[in-house]
Amino acid sequence: MRYVLLLAEVDPSAWDRATEGGRQGVLAAHRAFDEAVAQRGKILGGEALDRTDTATTLRTVDGVTTVTDGPFAETAEQVGGFYVVDLPDLDAAIETARLLPPRYTVEIRPVVPVEPY
Amino acid sequence: MPRLDEVWRDQWGRLLALLVAQFRRLDLAEDALAEAFEAAARSWGEEPPANPPAWLLTAARRRAVDRLRAEAVAARKQPLLVVDARTQQEAERHMADTGEPLLDQRLRLVLMCAHPSLAPESAAALSLRLVLGVPTEDIARLFLVQPATMAARLTRARKKLALAGVPFALPDEATLAERVEVVARVGYLAFTAGYAPTSGPDLLRVDAADDAVRLVRVLHEVLPRGALLDSLLALVLLQHSRRDARVGPDGGLVLLPDQDRSRWRQDEIAEALALLTPLVSSADPATPYLLEALIAAEHAVAPTAEATAWPRIADLYAELEDLTGSPVVRLNRAVAVAEAHGAPAGLAVLEGVDLPGNHRLPAVRAELLARAGRPQEARAAFDEALALSGNDVERRFLSARRAALGNA
Repeated sequence: MRYVLLLAEVDPSAWDRATEGGRQGVLAAHRAFDEAVAQRGKILGGEALDRTDTATTLRTVDGVTTVTDGPFAETAEQVGGFYVVDLPDLDAAIETARLLPPRYTVEIRPVVPVEPY
Repeated sequence: MPRLDEVWRDQWGRLLALLVAQFRRLDLAEDALAEAFEAAARSWGEEPPANPPAWLLTAARRRAVDRLRAEAVAARKQPLLVVDARTQQEAERHMADTGEPLLDQRLRLVLMCAHPSLAPESAAALSLRLVLGVPTEDIARLFLVQPATMAARLTRARKKLALAGVPFALPDEATLAERVEVVARVGYLAFTAGYAPTSGPDLLRVDAADDAVRLVRVLHEVLPRGALLDSLLALVLLQHSRRDARVGPDGGLVLLPDQDRSRWRQDEIAEALALLTPLVSSADPATPYLLEALIAAEHAVAPTAEATAWPRIADLYAELEDLTGSPVVRLNRAVAVAEAHGAPAGLAVLEGVDLPGNHRLPAVRAELLARAGRPQEARAAFDEALALSGNDVERRFLSARRAALGNA
C-alpha cells in the first residue's frame, strides 16, 4: 500500500537554532527511516517544505477563489515535510515512522488509487 | 450435543477469523457466518450435524462465494484487508470436517480489532462484534448509544481497517508486547462501560457487562500469557462477582459494606485469587490493573464489611496514586484512609482534589463530613452532589443520606 507520511513539528525554527550535533542526529534518524523502509518496501518520494510563512493558499468559497498568504491550517503544529512510501501495511508504516526524528508528529495517510485520466 | 447458542458463543470468533483470512472482507465474512447460523437454526432441528463448527464453516464459505459471484463488478472493488498469502492459503485449505481441530486465528482478529489506529471505544465495540459475535443492539446498550449510532460506528471502524491497511497478522515479539497493552485497555474499557452509571433507571446492565467479561476471557486465552492479562482478568472477575449483590430488591444501589456477601460468586472470586497469587510475589513492577485487582481482592476475602483490611487497601491506593496521578484514585484513597484512620484523616486526603462536574467528590466529602460530626457542611456537600448526579438511583440514595442528617 502507498502511504503519505506528513511530518509536522511544533517549532519549525528549531532546525535553524540546532547545533551541528543536533542536526546530525536528525539526519541520522532520516537515514535510519530510509533504510528501514527500503527493507520492506520503498520510498517513492518526499520533500522538506520551506517554512509556513512562504506558503500561499487558494481557497474557493461560493465560486470565488481567493489567494491568501499563509498555510491552510493555522495550528500549533505545522507540516514541514512529507514522504511517499510503499509498504505492505499500516503496521510497517508505523514501525518505520517511529524511526523518524522525535520532534515530528507524523500523520500517516493511505493514498487513494486514482485511475489515470 | 451443544446447543446452537453455545456453538455461537464458543465458535463465532474462530470461524469468523478463518473467513476473514480467506475472503479478506469483514462485511462479507460477518454476513456469511450470520447466515450460516440462521440456516443452522432452521435445519438442525433434532439432529444437529456431527461436527457443528465444520458444518457452519462450510455453509458460511458457500454463502460468501455465492455472494461474491452475485456482486456487481463495482461492488467487488471493495478494499480488501491486508492478509499475507500464507495465512490466507492456510485458512482456505483448512477443512474442519476432516476431524482436525478448528484452526485458531483469533489472535490476529483480536489484534486487528484492538489496533491502536482505532479510537478505543470503536476498538472495544468492534472486538465485541467480531471476536464474540455480540449483536449490534447489545453493544449499543453497553455503550449507552442508539443502535443506529453504534451500527454507524462499527461500519466506520470496519472501513478504516481496510482502507488504512491494518493487517490481519501477528507482529514481531517487541511490537506484540506493546500491542498487548492496547488490547488490555480495550478489554477494560468494554468492561467499565458495563458499569458506567446510566442516566436512566437501569443502574447496572448485567448481561451487557457479561459480554465484556467474556471478551476479557477470550483476550486472556488468545494473547500470550502474562501478568498484564492475568491481572486484568482477575480484576474484572472480582468486580463482576458482586453483580447480584449490587442492586437491591427495589432496584436501588447497594454499597459494598451493605451487600449480602453470600450473593457474591465464590467460584469467580476463587478463580481471580488463583490468578493473583503468583503475581503478588513477582519482582516485576505492579501495573494499575494489578493494584486495582489486589484492592478488589481485599474486599472479596473480607468475611464481613467490618473485617475489611482498610489499612492495606489505603496503602494499595497510595501505590496506585503514585502510578497514575489520578484524582479519582485519590478520592478512593480518601475513603480507604477514612475507614482505616477515621473521617478527619480521610477529609485531609481530599484537600486540594479537584474533579469538576463529578458528583462523587462532593458525595464522598458529604459522607465524611457527616461522620466527622459536621452536619451543616455535610448538607451543603450533599446538595452539591445532588446537583451533579444524573443517575436516578444514585440521586435517591444521596437524598436519603441527606435526609438522615435531619434539618437542623
